[in-house]
Amino acid sequence: MSAPAIEFTGVSRWYGDTVSLADVSFTADAGVVGLLGHNGAGKSTTLKLCAGFSTPSTGTVRIYGDNPRRNPDVYRRVGIVPDHSPPWPFLTAREVVELSARLHKVPDYREAAARAIATVELEPAADRRVAGFSHGMRQRVKLAQAIAHEPDLLLLDEPLNGLDPTQREHVISLLIRLGEQGRTVVVSSHVLHEVERMAPRVLVLVNGHLVAEGSTAGIRQLISERPRRVLVTADNARALARELMSSAAVDAVRIADGAIEVETSEPSQLSRELPAAAGRTQSLLRLIRPVGDDLESVYTYLHERARGQAR
Amino acid sequence: MILPVYRLTLRALLLQRRTIMLAVVVLAPVATSLIYALARPGGSDTVDFYSGIVQKLFVPAVAALVALVFGVSAFGDEREDGTILYLVATPQPRLELVVAKVAAAWTASLVLLVPSLVLSGLLGLGSAASLRLIGWPLLGVVLASLAYCSASSWLSLKTRRPVVIGVIYILLWEGSVATYAASAAKLSISAYGSAFVAHALPQSAPPVAGLVPSALVLAAVVVLAAWGAARSLARAELP
Repeated sequence: MSAPAIEFTGVSRWYGDTVSLADVSFTADAGVVGLLGHNGAGKSTTLKLCAGFSTPSTGTVRIYGDNPRRNPDVYRRVGIVPDHSPPWPFLTAREVVELSARLHKVPDYREAAARAIATVELEPAADRRVAGFSHGMRQRVKLAQAIAHEPDLLLLDEPLNGLDPTQREHVISLLIRLGEQGRTVVVSSHVLHEVERMAPRVLVLVNGHLVAEGSTAGIRQLISERPRRVLVTADNARALARELMSSAAVDAVRIADGAIEVETSEPSQLSRELPAAAGRTQSLLRLIRPVGDDLESVYTYLHERARGQAR
Repeated sequence: MILPVYRLTLRALLLQRRTIMLAVVVLAPVATSLIYALARPGGSDTVDFYSGIVQKLFVPAVAALVALVFGVSAFGDEREDGTILYLVATPQPRLELVVAKVAAAWTASLVLLVPSLVLSGLLGLGSAASLRLIGWPLLGVVLASLAYCSASSWLSLKTRRPVVIGVIYILLWEGSVATYAASAAKLSISAYGSAFVAHALPQSAPPVAGLVPSALVLAAVVVLAAWGAARSLARAELP
């Protein structure tokens, strides 16, 4: 049986007192895998470790069964798109991609580079220097140099950053296609809806911990199941709060500064019952606003949930 | 696959702003020789003057500094801007990457050092100029700068302050300690480079070693530093 493309076993990475990754284990094989998490969650550290740019403090990282830091030959099968490192500004896009293909020992590197440039739709600018490129164009050069040698494993750190909507669509379709071809594509992002469009499988990192792992639909279900808080401002707040207490959709109600904060595990049921309750208590609803519905809160919930399960 | 990396690095080194600053540095001995040639006092010994320029200024300061800066920049600049990732994420053996980088740094150094030394020789020596008087010092500079480039490339992968450490070594160790203590000179790259100068020009002190031992020591520095740099590159924490 061949080794998986990526195998993390009990991997931790810390820098001084800062824990960047804590006891993370997972494997990845053919298909697109999304690496989801807020800024500083450990996504880039995970990709750096996969790419062999860093050594784990504890645990092991294997790429096709090998340690890339000991055996550079593994890079024949790996393509990398780093987040913050644009290619050499004094080279043209074509020179960058040809150099990459050549260093990856592609026999016909010119042909391979031309193909990769065409794939990312950069042909009109191929002979211009990278220095004059927009962020989006640089992203496409990085992508082209990563795919020129047709790697089995692609590691992409926020590859959609700086791309306009059309380019995003194009790159997402390209990554889906590469995944369908049986390549392993690991894409990091902090935007859930972006990841769920291309990755059937997602790993969610929060503060260096792998807090959820599974199908994108499963993660979406987990997120939708989390308790929500809704802030309601109404004329007859106390009466409305009392009425809401009797609803099965409501877990808790609190009144502060004249506003009602409702905690619910059934937001859709609440949205149906709230107007009815307002009507019964003759309360005029003035404001209904979700509280803590940002992505950060979602990650925090997943983190707390994972810790609760661990306990 | 050394050639593409060599060409890439050479291009990066020669295009950087620091090269202009280094060009000014290599002009110092040329300017000094020009002033000497224009205002030469009657009966002065041109060979003595040229010997002083080469042994006190060119080998221990100008060549050392230029090779140090290029040697450090070969990896240092790419580590700083992250482009090193595109080289490291390839199946190229680490030693080959280091050899390409050191060779590029050495070439860039020679692009500045060789014309400077030859011009200084022609201006300073005047009618006494000969292939022997310029050739042997040139050989010393060529070999010493290779050793400096290799050592500083290793230093750039090993420490966060390679230029500071390199300058301290050049000024404090080679420029001060090694000039007073003969045993300290045995750990000085410029002292071995100067052994070639001594073959053609008069010296105030005997050379640290003969020609062959000096060449062997410099070669050993090049090989060991390149090997150390390859190991450091394989273990380096990259951006």
